[in-house]
Amino acid sequence: MDRKSVLTDYIKKEILRNDRAKISDDQDLLSDGILDSLGILQLVAYISETFGIEIPDQDVVYENFHSITALDTYLSQ
Amino acid sequence: MDGVIIVGGGPAGSAMGSYLSMAGIPNIILESANHPRPHVGESMVTSSTRVFKEIGFLETMEREGFIHKFGASWHAPNGKEFAIEFAEFPQQGIDQDYTYHVDRSKFDLLMLKHAEKLGSKVYQGVHVKNILFEGDQAVGVRVKIADVETEMFAPVIVDATGRGTLIGNQLKTKKKDTYFNQYAVHAWFENVQRGNGHTADFIHIYFLEVERGWVWQIPITDEITSMGVVADKNVLRGDHADIESFFYKHLSTNPDLVSAMADARRINEFKTEGDYSYSLEKFVGNGFLCIGDAARFVDPIFSSGVSVALYSAKYASMEIKRAFELKDFSAEIFQPYEDKVRSGVSVWYEFIRLYYKLLPLFTHFIQSKKHRLEVLRLLQGEVYERGEVPVLDAMRQYIKAVEASDSHILKDRLTGVPID
Repeated sequence: MDRKSVLTDYIKKEILRNDRAKISDDQDLLSDGILDSLGILQLVAYISETFGIEIPDQDVVYENFHSITALDTYLSQ
Repeated sequence: MDGVIIVGGGPAGSAMGSYLSMAGIPNIILESANHPRPHVGESMVTSSTRVFKEIGFLETMEREGFIHKFGASWHAPNGKEFAIEFAEFPQQGIDQDYTYHVDRSKFDLLMLKHAEKLGSKVYQGVHVKNILFEGDQAVGVRVKIADVETEMFAPVIVDATGRGTLIGNQLKTKKKDTYFNQYAVHAWFENVQRGNGHTADFIHIYFLEVERGWVWQIPITDEITSMGVVADKNVLRGDHADIESFFYKHLSTNPDLVSAMADARRINEFKTEGDYSYSLEKFVGNGFLCIGDAARFVDPIFSSGVSVALYSAKYASMEIKRAFELKDFSAEIFQPYEDKVRSGVSVWYEFIRLYYKLLPLFTHFIQSKKHRLEVLRLLQGEVYERGEVPVLDAMRQYIKAVEASDSHILKDRLTGVPID
């Protein structure tokens, strides 16, 4: 699975707790109520465990988390 | 008498009596109430087990069937729940992965009886009016029994009067916390839906949307559950409500809490607790030591109270023992006790401040692999003789990064709690 699918999967299973939820790569996760601040922190911990990428505290901003694509782009840097 | 007068027969006083008797130091405990009497502070942390073991009280805890507390669970206002289990962080010298929830009237009576069995002379219904001083040396107490006043003398006086803070009031050394002014309304209920499966007997903390607001759910027996609403005193003032409406109004703001309380029936009167968080300028002086809540009280969010009472009794008794060996009852001899307990309780206090400063951060740290065990270490009461506490530094760094950023997702979650 590529990184986008892994992230989408995690959000569905662990944050929304709904396997059948539909999330597109460019969907706005914040205004659609998929991620709140706690959800983002959960995701930060998951990314560190799964991909070994530590997201610095100052990068935990909405711009980097507003969609799966945005997050993937940020993580590619 | 050539021994110690302990004022107050709560957990601090009884633990003190037990340790002193074990060290062969004669002691008397003067308790103003007649036990059993109700008391708030019904949930413990695992570090307490060490003290129970040392004074031979653990068998009693097990025999009396107090509810085992294997962990803690937090409920966010949006219905998300996350839990910790003590089994994940084993502690040196403790062979059980749980602590206890207690009916304090029963627990405190049992501890007092235990102290008596070990050798303390216990007098209940004795009101200590004040400490007697010669110059700055404490030499005894003035007591009132029924309508008769009398004086008793001893080389060491221990103030274990809890939030009564006998010495703090008499010497005017009690400093209220400038920020934390919390208020609690609580009662016992039957038919609380505590939750399913193995977390049902955890302590449950429900976050409220008001300033430093939360609710405790503590199982007392299989049927009875203690429920308490805690918030800044200004929240209550702002509500202009009686305590019962205050209680139910805030209860209705967390969905998990609403379902827990759907069929609940209250079985005793509402009680209130105020005047939270203070410290004495000095815990010790010539001829006296203050222990437990009589020395320092911090917000009860982490169930630290009884543990602080027990450990302060333990550490204070060590210095009292030394004082009798040296026949020197000066403040200098007792000072190491104050240093140890002051820095230990400061760890609790720092943890509490950082917690209230940015609530989601606590959730984040508890879920992060990197910090989880260190947070558990704190939650389980390992706060003494620590020196540096890196996880608190990490929390502080994180908060600073959020404060410095313009767009951090937690920016709007920062509260006004001062952390410097």
